[in-house]
Amino acid sequence: MVSPAEAHYIIESCFSDFRIDGRSRLEHRPYTVSNRKVGASAPSPSAVVGASSPSSLILSNGSSRIHLPGSSTDILCSVKADLVHPSPCKPREGIVELNVDLSLCGSGVGGGMLDGGSSSSSTQQRMNNNTSSSRRKEREAESQITSLLQRLILPHAVNYTQLAILPGRYVWRLSIDIVVLRCDGCILDACSLALREGLYNTKLPCVKSAVMEGGMPDVEGEGFGGNNSGDGSNNKNDLIVDGDIKNAMPPPGVENCPLVVTVSVLSAFVPPPPSSTSDNTASSSSSQQRRHQTQRRHYISIIDARTEEEVCASSHVCVSIDPCGLVCGVHTLGGSGGGGVGDSFTADSQEEGVAADNLNDEIMGVSSSSSMPLAMLGDVVASAAMASKNLYSLLNDAGERNVNRTKANNIVPTVGNDDGNGYGYLLKDHFLIQ
Amino acid sequence: MASSTRRTDILSLIHIRSDGRRPHEIRHMSCHLGALPSTACGSALPTSACSGSALVSMGLTQVLCVVRGPCDIGRRSDELPDRATLDVSMRTTPFSSPGDRRNVNPSTDRRLIEQSHLLQKVLSASILLHLYPKSKISVTVMVLADDGGRLEAAINAATLALMDAGIPLKDMVCACSAGRWNAGGSDDIVVDLNRREIQTATGMGGGGGGTSDTIYLPVATMPQRGTIVLSQCESRLSGDADAFAQVLEAAMVGCQMVMDVMAAAVRERGMGLWKAKEGKANVMLNDW
Repeated sequence: MVSPAEAHYIIESCFSDFRIDGRSRLEHRPYTVSNRKVGASAPSPSAVVGASSPSSLILSNGSSRIHLPGSSTDILCSVKADLVHPSPCKPREGIVELNVDLSLCGSGVGGGMLDGGSSSSSTQQRMNNNTSSSRRKEREAESQITSLLQRLILPHAVNYTQLAILPGRYVWRLSIDIVVLRCDGCILDACSLALREGLYNTKLPCVKSAVMEGGMPDVEGEGFGGNNSGDGSNNKNDLIVDGDIKNAMPPPGVENCPLVVTVSVLSAFVPPPPSSTSDNTASSSSSQQRRHQTQRRHYISIIDARTEEEVCASSHVCVSIDPCGLVCGVHTLGGSGGGGVGDSFTADSQEEGVAADNLNDEIMGVSSSSSMPLAMLGDVVASAAMASKNLYSLLNDAGERNVNRTKANNIVPTVGNDDGNGYGYLLKDHFLIQ
Repeated sequence: MASSTRRTDILSLIHIRSDGRRPHEIRHMSCHLGALPSTACGSALPTSACSGSALVSMGLTQVLCVVRGPCDIGRRSDELPDRATLDVSMRTTPFSSPGDRRNVNPSTDRRLIEQSHLLQKVLSASILLHLYPKSKISVTVMVLADDGGRLEAAINAATLALMDAGIPLKDMVCACSAGRWNAGGSDDIVVDLNRREIQTATGMGGGGGGTSDTIYLPVATMPQRGTIVLSQCESRLSGDADAFAQVLEAAMVGCQMVMDVMAAAVRERGMGLWKAKEGKANVMLNDW
């Protein structure tokens, strides 16, 4: 998928802090979040006139779309809510279910991160979407992403106890569906962003219990009167649902929903500085040996890798961080082994006249392990924390601008992360002609 | 004998439907060509190559269509020597149905399979397949929200996506539905039914309706040629051929209205591209 020369180029560019699309190591791409108008759970007759492009997912309680200008990433998220009986082992907590759908983009997504190993043979199969093995890979990728998101984000996404309306009887169940239309690297990041924005946008109607203490029932809810006091088992209509959308609230605790930042670790040999001796003849073999021993493996971490960079990375660390800066989860994914790195460095060593095979074995022996030094982990988490702080501040700015504009124009605003410094030179390739 | 109108009646006494439309009015329709920008072939993600796309919403029904092709078929055994293979698949998202979310497996749901086949037949009637022998054009339709009329919206979206991809067509295929409801002795023909009206007309809503005089007819036509490509009637007609002709007529008028909206969208897109070519484009970071 990526040739050794290209891999070498990508790794060198990351080491020199100027990546192939011009970003620095710790810069995110300019993700755009379209905060949508939110509809209630029942469809209402559409009276929207004038907006030329359709806005929200109207039949869901909350939705969001994460989009990267240009043609790389496009993710939809929808949140639907309904009232159910809670699960017997957790009677006082609400339920959040998550489902990720990758069927539109085939098994090409996450090629760098998720299915490490089976790269070349699947190119043929990818073109034909109906083969069972490509669908199986798709399902594996889907389930891997779903379970990672469930472990890293969902335990902290909302306040579960406040989702329960009548503890033991009725709780909210939020069903989150993420549809990935396209993804160009860092699918976990983008999915977590979509999830957070979708939850942020969800408006749950205000639901109160219809039965007060003392046995006197409250006024009828859905046209049902005469409801007697309720430890009753047969009372179905003992909830009052407030249909006014102005009283609808986002799910409690959603401001603390964490985001996932994926840090990719690239590794390369840094060749030693050229020695001052100019003769290669007599002591050539011994000096070359010394040079090999002083070649060390250097690791560098980048944030928000593109697909090409992901494929060259030796491992990925997904860190889930909430808005206060606390780390909610860390997950390490092995990389694709960095075989390209080994090949690309034989060219260097051949200048010194060493037999390629020996050196190759040596390099391959070291680089086939897709791990990273332990000392790096602290650095990785720190850079992830910094990057997430940037992300959160961008989202908050976007959110404020959203609020201001809604008050001003009374139309649906779309929000972009147009943070001027640093993204300007990127954007010339990402414009869309409208 | 006068009966009071119920909320579930399709037409009230002043001939206004439940969502405020007149009987011969189609829903508010908006088309967006190029919703997913097309990628060049040299990108790192071959399966997400998208030659053209369109997002069509008719009322609350929202459908996204992505076209890939013409491209190479992986297996030689699937090639046709004289024309292109058309691969159509239709799928719904779990959040598309109003009310509860439900997971629909696109390979086993019969309704979806049937509608994919119908869509394939409709598009084969219009695409000039003989221009691309031994290659494949694949059309994927994703229903984002379903408020009735998803087959019609899918046909419209597929047509627009094919035009966005630049694949040559004989004519634009436009689809619209029409129905007839017999209430209190007078026949009312309505155009572009939404979900509640369909349920009342076909009696699937578990209530009244479904009497022998109701007709629900989705129709796809090529308006500029005046030919009908698809018409699907599953209602029982009580031996009244005139009624069918009337409903068909109304549906064709509805298709003409849909065609106007689609043509305007295509012209707008073309105008934007032309201006960009001349260097006078409006550049925006966000789309949709």
